[in-house]
Amino acid sequence: MRIKFAVLAAALLMTVAALAQTTTYTPGDFQKSNPHYPHPNPFYFEGKIDWDKLAITSPSNTWEYMQRGIHNQDDLGDTAAAIQDYQTSLAMNSLTSTPPTCQIVTRATLVNGVLPSTLTPAPCMFTVRLRLAHLLQPTDPDTAITLLKEVLQIDPLRLDVNELIGEVYVQKAKADTDATAQQNDYTQAINYLQAEIALSPVTSVVTAQTGDAANNAHAHWELAEIYDTLGMTTQEKQELNLYLAATQWHSDVYPWRITLAQKRLQTLKARQ
Amino acid sequence: MRSYISIVGTLVACGLFVILTGCGAGTSTVADVQSTGSTVEVQFRAQTYQPPSNCLPCHQRQYDELHSSVKSGYRNVSPLFNGLEFSSNLLAGGLLRPVYGDSTVVLPDGTPLNSNMFTTPVLTETRQVQAGFCFTCHNAHVERMGEDPSKREVPQLAGLGASFVPELLRPLRDYHMVDANGNQILPSDIGGYPPAGAMPSLGAAGITCDFCHNVQGPDLNRSFQMDGFANMSLKLGESVEKTGPFLQPVAVKGNFHVATNDTSRIAFLRSSALCNACHDVRVPNNNLTAEEHNMNPGGQNVKYYRLENLSTEWQTGPYNSTSNPFGKVIRCQDCHMSLFPFAGTSTYTVGDLNITSPTPAVFPQNYAAVPGVATDNNAPLPKRQVVTHYFAGVDVPLLSPQELQDRLGTTYPDPYEAGNDEYGIPKALATRRQALMDASVRISLSKSDSNASLGTPLEVRLEAIALTGHRFPAGFSQERTAYVNLTVTDDNGFLVYQSGYVVDKPHPQTSEAAPDGNLDDEDLEHVEAVVDPGTHTVPYAAGAGTNGHRNLVFETGPDNGPESRVYSGIPEGLVLFRNELIRVFLPGDTLGRTDASGNQIVVNTAHFEETFSASFANGVDNYRSLPPLEPRTFVYEINLPTQAELAELGVTLKGPLHVHAQVNFEHFPPLFLRFLSAATGPNGPTGHDNHLLNESVIDNYLKNIRNIASTDTTVNLQ
Repeated sequence: MRIKFAVLAAALLMTVAALAQTTTYTPGDFQKSNPHYPHPNPFYFEGKIDWDKLAITSPSNTWEYMQRGIHNQDDLGDTAAAIQDYQTSLAMNSLTSTPPTCQIVTRATLVNGVLPSTLTPAPCMFTVRLRLAHLLQPTDPDTAITLLKEVLQIDPLRLDVNELIGEVYVQKAKADTDATAQQNDYTQAINYLQAEIALSPVTSVVTAQTGDAANNAHAHWELAEIYDTLGMTTQEKQELNLYLAATQWHSDVYPWRITLAQKRLQTLKARQ
Repeated sequence: MRSYISIVGTLVACGLFVILTGCGAGTSTVADVQSTGSTVEVQFRAQTYQPPSNCLPCHQRQYDELHSSVKSGYRNVSPLFNGLEFSSNLLAGGLLRPVYGDSTVVLPDGTPLNSNMFTTPVLTETRQVQAGFCFTCHNAHVERMGEDPSKREVPQLAGLGASFVPELLRPLRDYHMVDANGNQILPSDIGGYPPAGAMPSLGAAGITCDFCHNVQGPDLNRSFQMDGFANMSLKLGESVEKTGPFLQPVAVKGNFHVATNDTSRIAFLRSSALCNACHDVRVPNNNLTAEEHNMNPGGQNVKYYRLENLSTEWQTGPYNSTSNPFGKVIRCQDCHMSLFPFAGTSTYTVGDLNITSPTPAVFPQNYAAVPGVATDNNAPLPKRQVVTHYFAGVDVPLLSPQELQDRLGTTYPDPYEAGNDEYGIPKALATRRQALMDASVRISLSKSDSNASLGTPLEVRLEAIALTGHRFPAGFSQERTAYVNLTVTDDNGFLVYQSGYVVDKPHPQTSEAAPDGNLDDEDLEHVEAVVDPGTHTVPYAAGAGTNGHRNLVFETGPDNGPESRVYSGIPEGLVLFRNELIRVFLPGDTLGRTDASGNQIVVNTAHFEETFSASFANGVDNYRSLPPLEPRTFVYEINLPTQAELAELGVTLKGPLHVHAQVNFEHFPPLFLRFLSAATGPNGPTGHDNHLLNESVIDNYLKNIRNIASTDTTVNLQ
C-alpha cells in the first residue's frame, strides 16, 4: 500500500514537472497558435508593430516588408537591410509602375461611404515612403523628395511632410555649386516650409483656445536661416519674430535658439 | 480501498490545483462527493448582492484594503470616469446607457433592444454592446439588479439616438446616492453636489467583495473571441456560495455564506483569467486599422477595436510563462494583490541590462477572517498565506477628501493619509501608486556617444525596459502618459538640448488666463491640440458635428518625436510610450477645424490623425508602449551648436556634457481633461454645467509622477 502510494505520488510530481516545463515563453508563439490574435489590417495600419511577435518567417507582401524594414532600422540598426526591405515594399506599393500597384483612397474608392477592408490595388502607404526618404536623403535627395511628394499625394493634409521636403531642398541648396540651382532650391525650400505653416493656420479660434500667436517654431526658424543666407533681412526679421511667438509658450528642444533669435533681431535692428 | 482512493484523489486534486493556480499554499483536502441518485438539482440559497459593509465584520482587513483602492468606490464617483461616459453619450445620442428587459426600443431592423452588454446572452448587435458599455464593467451586479425596476439605480434613458435629450442626461454618479432609508435620492441640480444626508448606494461601491467572490467562471458567449477576455465576460452568481481562495475553510458564522468546493472556480479566482475578463476593453466600432469582430455565432456584425489591451499583453508576454527572471508564471495577483513592491528586491539580467527590482509573488501570513468573530463557537482559524486587496494602480482621485467622504461615506480614507499597515505597506493610495510606478521601468544611456564636437550631431542612445507584467503603460494606455525627459547641459549648466519637457502656460479654453506656476497641468510639447467640446443645439443631432470630439486645434510642436520616430524613422524628439488613438478620416469628411479663410477643411483622400477621444477613434496603435522585458533603444540625434552660434550667444561650452534622462508619468493628459471640462460644462452640448471637471479640479488634483527611473552619463567635448 505504502509503495503504491509512493509510486503514484512520484508519477504525479513528474507529471507536474513535465507540464511546468512546456510553458517556455518565446515571442510569437502565442500569436502563431491563436488565430484570434489581432493582426493589423496590412493596408490601413501605418506605423510600427512588434516584428518579433508577428511570427513571420519571410515577408510576403508590401506591409510585411515594410515592417521587417522598420525592425531592421529601429531594433537592429541595420540601415542597409532596412533600405532594401523598404525598396522591396515600395515596389509592391507603387504609384509610378504601370499599372500602379497601389491606389490613393478617394471618394470613388468608398463603397456606400465606407472604406472596404480590402482594395485592389491596395491603398498606397505613407510610412514606407517617409522612412525610405529619410534614409536616402543624405545620398539621394532627389529620390527622397520624390517619395515625400508621393506622401503628399496620398495624404495632402499630413503634417510635417512639407517641412521635410523643405529641409531636403535646403540640403540640396547648401551642396549646390551653381548659383541658379542654389537659388531655385532655396525658393523651393521656402515654398514647402510656408506650405507646412499654412496647414496649421493660426486662426482666431486657435489664439482664443491656446493663447498662441504663432506655431510651427521649427519651420519659422528654418525660414529665418534661409533668409539670413539669402540676405533677405525683412523676411528674416519677420520669421524670427514668428519663431519667438511660436516658442513663447512651447520653448524649443534647443532653447538657446530663443536667445539667439532675440540677439539676431537686435543685431538686425541695429543695422537699420 | 476507500481511503486509498481518497488519498489518490486528494493528491491529484492538489496537483491540479498547484498547476492551475501556480501557488500551492493554503490548499486543503477535497471531500468525497457521493451521488445521492436524486434527479432534483438543489441550488444554493439565493443571496442578493451584498454591500461590502456586510462583509466588514468578519473581513475587516480586506474591507479596509479594498476601500482605499480606486477600484472600489472612487472609480464610480470619479469626475473623469463620469466625464468620459457622459461625453461619449453626448456624441452617441445616449446609446451607452443601459437598457433593460422592459425596454420598448426597437432596432432599425425591427428587433427589440431589451438587453444590455451584461444581460445579452450572445452579442449580435452593436447596440447591445453599447447599451451600458461603461457601466457594465464598473457595476455589472447593479446593472443586472436593474432588471427589477424597483431595484434599478441607473434608469434607461427616455430618448435615444435622434430622440436623445442631452439637457436631461445626468452623470452616472448622480444615481449612486441613497437616503437613510435606502431610497435613491438625486442632486437637485443635474450633476450637483450630494444633498445633505446622502449616503453611498450599492452602486457607489463599484467593484466590491461580492463582485469577485460571486464569480462562477468566464462567460465565453459574451467574450468576443470566445476566450473569456474583455468587456466583463464573467458569469456572476447570486447565492450564499462564494468563491474563495481556499478549499473547505472553517464554516462561517450563522451560515452567512459558504465557500465553494469547486476547484475550477477557486483556480479561476486565483488566476489572471479572472482579471482578463475586464482588463481588456474592446470598443464596438468599424475599426479601420485591424478588422476584428465577435467570433460567436451570429456576432460577425459586431466589430471592435482594442482600447485597454492589458490582459492580452500579459497573456502574450513573458510573465505568462516560466521564461522570465523569476522562473514561474507571475499572475496579476502576484503584483497587485501581494506585498509587492514592499517585499524585498531581486537582481537579474535582461540583455545587457542589470536590473534590480521589487520581487513579486511574496504574500503575507495572516487570518483570512477575524478570529472570534467570523466563526460559530469561536472555531479556531489558521494563519496562512493570504492576499492583499489594495489593487495598486496608476490613479489618484481627482476629488477632495471631503467630497470623497460626502459621496462615499464618512469612513472613506484620505488618499494621502500617513502611516503604514501591519505589513509595512503605506496606507496612502498615492504612496502605493508611486511605489508601483517606481518598479515599472528602467533606463540606461551606456551606449551613447562618449565624445562630441561643436556643430556636429551627438548621438544619445537611450535603452528602456519595462518590468511590468503587461506593456508599459497599460490599461487606458492611449491616455496614460509615460515619457522620457532628457536634457543635455554643459559643465556650467547651459542647456543644450531638452526633450520631454513641459512649459507653464495659459489655458484660455478653461479660463486660465496666465501661467499658474503648476506644471502638472501641462501637456507635452510634441503636439498642440484642443479637442472640440461641442455646443448646445436644439434640436439635438448625434455625431461630432455639434457634439465635439474632433481636434479643434491640431499642430505639431517643437518636440514632435512620436511622428518623427514612428512614421519617418527620424531619431529626434520626444520618446513617448503612450499608445495612440487614431481617426482615419475618409474622403468627404470634415476635420472639424478651418483653414486660414475660415472654411471647414474637407478631406479629399484618406487622412490619418491622432485623436484623443476613444469615442471618436476608428483605429488604434497599441504598439507604442514598452513591451515587458524586451529592451528598446531610442536614439536622439542632437545638433550641437556651432562655434559661430555660440559666439553670437556669447557662450563658451565647457565640457564634459552631462546627459540626464528620466521617465515621468502623467495619469491623464491635461488637454483631454480640459476637453471633458468644456464638454460637460455650461457651454457644452447640454447647455449647463454638469459639475464634473474644471480648471480648478485639474490644477488641484492632477498629480503626476516624475523620475520613475533615471540615469546619467557624460560626454567629452572635443
